[in-house]
Amino acid sequence: MSMLELGYLSFPILLVMIFLRAPIGLAMMLCGIGGLYFAMDGTNMFMSKLKSETYSTFSSYSLTIIPMFLLMGQFATVSGMSKALFKAAESFLGHRRGGVAMAAVGACAGFGSICGSSLATAATMSRVALPELRRYGYSGGFSTATLAAGGTLGILIPPSVILVIYAILTEQNIAKLFLAAFIPGILAAIGYIITISIYVRVYPDAAGTREPVPMPERIKALIDVWPVLLVFGLVVGGIYLGWFTPTEGAAVGAAGTGLIALVSGNLSWEQFRDSIIATATSSAMIFFIILGAGFYNGFLALSQVPQELSGWVVGQGYSPWTVLTLVLVFYVIFGCLMDSLSMILLTIPIFFPVISALDFGMSPEHVAIWFGILVLIVVEVGLITPPVGMNLFIINSMDKETPMTHTYKAVMWFVTSDIVRVILLVLFPAITLFLLPN
Amino acid sequence: MLNMVERLARAMAIAGGLVLTVLVVLTCTSVLGRGLNTLSHSGLLPDALGAWLLGLGVGPINGDFELVEAGVAFAIFSFFPICQLYGAHATVDIFTSSLPTKINKVIMGFWEVILSAIIVLITIRLFAGLEDKIRYGETTFLLQFPIWWAYAASFAAAVVAAVVAVYCAGARVIEALTGRPVLPYSEGADH
Repeated sequence: MSMLELGYLSFPILLVMIFLRAPIGLAMMLCGIGGLYFAMDGTNMFMSKLKSETYSTFSSYSLTIIPMFLLMGQFATVSGMSKALFKAAESFLGHRRGGVAMAAVGACAGFGSICGSSLATAATMSRVALPELRRYGYSGGFSTATLAAGGTLGILIPPSVILVIYAILTEQNIAKLFLAAFIPGILAAIGYIITISIYVRVYPDAAGTREPVPMPERIKALIDVWPVLLVFGLVVGGIYLGWFTPTEGAAVGAAGTGLIALVSGNLSWEQFRDSIIATATSSAMIFFIILGAGFYNGFLALSQVPQELSGWVVGQGYSPWTVLTLVLVFYVIFGCLMDSLSMILLTIPIFFPVISALDFGMSPEHVAIWFGILVLIVVEVGLITPPVGMNLFIINSMDKETPMTHTYKAVMWFVTSDIVRVILLVLFPAITLFLLPN
Repeated sequence: MLNMVERLARAMAIAGGLVLTVLVVLTCTSVLGRGLNTLSHSGLLPDALGAWLLGLGVGPINGDFELVEAGVAFAIFSFFPICQLYGAHATVDIFTSSLPTKINKVIMGFWEVILSAIIVLITIRLFAGLEDKIRYGETTFLLQFPIWWAYAASFAAAVVAAVVAVYCAGARVIEALTGRPVLPYSEGADH
């Protein structure tokens, strides 16, 4: 069997293993090791790779950013800032129709600026906002759907763990990717707010009303969120202006959210320990997938499958836009099945060369950044797409009274808003690239 | 037994977390030192203050990133036992969730055994890497500390990970054979 055939054969084997519930990192590792074994006709290659690859992956400077960002997010969840953010957003928006739900989205966006993970954002904000939504008479399904959608802002708005991984895989500048994610992230929040205002007009019973908050109180609530702005500005601004490397930025962010938690009195030893345990399980999970992906991608590169595939796609003469659309549709479908990070690590080494080989009338760097943001958004759509979106489960488990089907029904409105936004971003790359320097 | 393994895994995770926290503080100190150093040279500060700061020797911590690399490697290895014990590895269970519990237990046991074999293999090969580093006496570029120190720390954590992985595999196999729950955790991918 030729190397190329071996490479192609590895796809179905990998998928079968994953669908049979193999840990994704393990499945990639086995395919990588197996491929290297057959390709090199022996164990020498992967045994010598194993000697150094694990340590060098875990100690890679560009990857050290990941545990630090995760720690930053964990400290953020115990910092009490989720409460302050929601209070501030609610005091400004709460009295409008659907205003408490809009405030929840706004607070999620704010929280996303100090937390790089969707599930953590969804879970943390739900703890604060869900009881309030129910108190003001918002229907169960509408409340859970709003928070599930709002949670995806955690990853869209920088810092974002997934963008870091994408940047490393495609050798792009992390600061530029963060900057490019900014406008699409804000657009997402605005899109959700518009969705909410349409929803409460179609279903007037879904939302209650409340008294407006007097202006002095609003100002006070707004002032209470300054630490979030400071940490966000310092981390993203500092990385962008070159004051520090992305890893250093993540360390500054972790220290920042840690300090907020400490000063607010929320960081007891128990909380600190829990933050570490949560950081530990996520970090180990992510690094194991990265390690597996390293072996698998090493084998794929050897088999020449990515080059062959991109050559084939270009040779077919399809329009670049058709190919892009197909890739994005693929991501939406698979995003429903698999978590975003595994998806990115599994598919970017295959799809990125294909997309790079096509001519979109932009510089290669711009295509890479634009494609990264699009992929980020479509895999996140998977997080809230019924029946398996992970955010839906997290939040629904926090509100026992609401049946899953109610959440499903309401969340489709937000999925629609996401799809509209993806179409806009595909048609007008300038929206994503606007903030980038030329 | 579970109690002991859990205590071990948690202690390991907390050790790794403390190292990570120290690295955060170290990196921030280094960034601050570098910032003050740049500021003192820039002439934006009053001359006396700038000279005083430079006299104190403010500046980035030499070789800070080498410590970050070695420390994070140790931290990640120390995070493996708890990830293993809490079954936190990412999986796709939509296709298997409709199967009977008994079959799911068998599937989980099967992968857990393979996973633990791979982790044991990684640990053994890490030891081979460690031997290489000792033999060649490789040191880091700036701090000149022997790289095998970092390998040794990681190897120690990897041994704990291997022990916990084997325990988990055994527990899952017993669960699959007897139907009796041994590990209290199954799902838990939270990221």
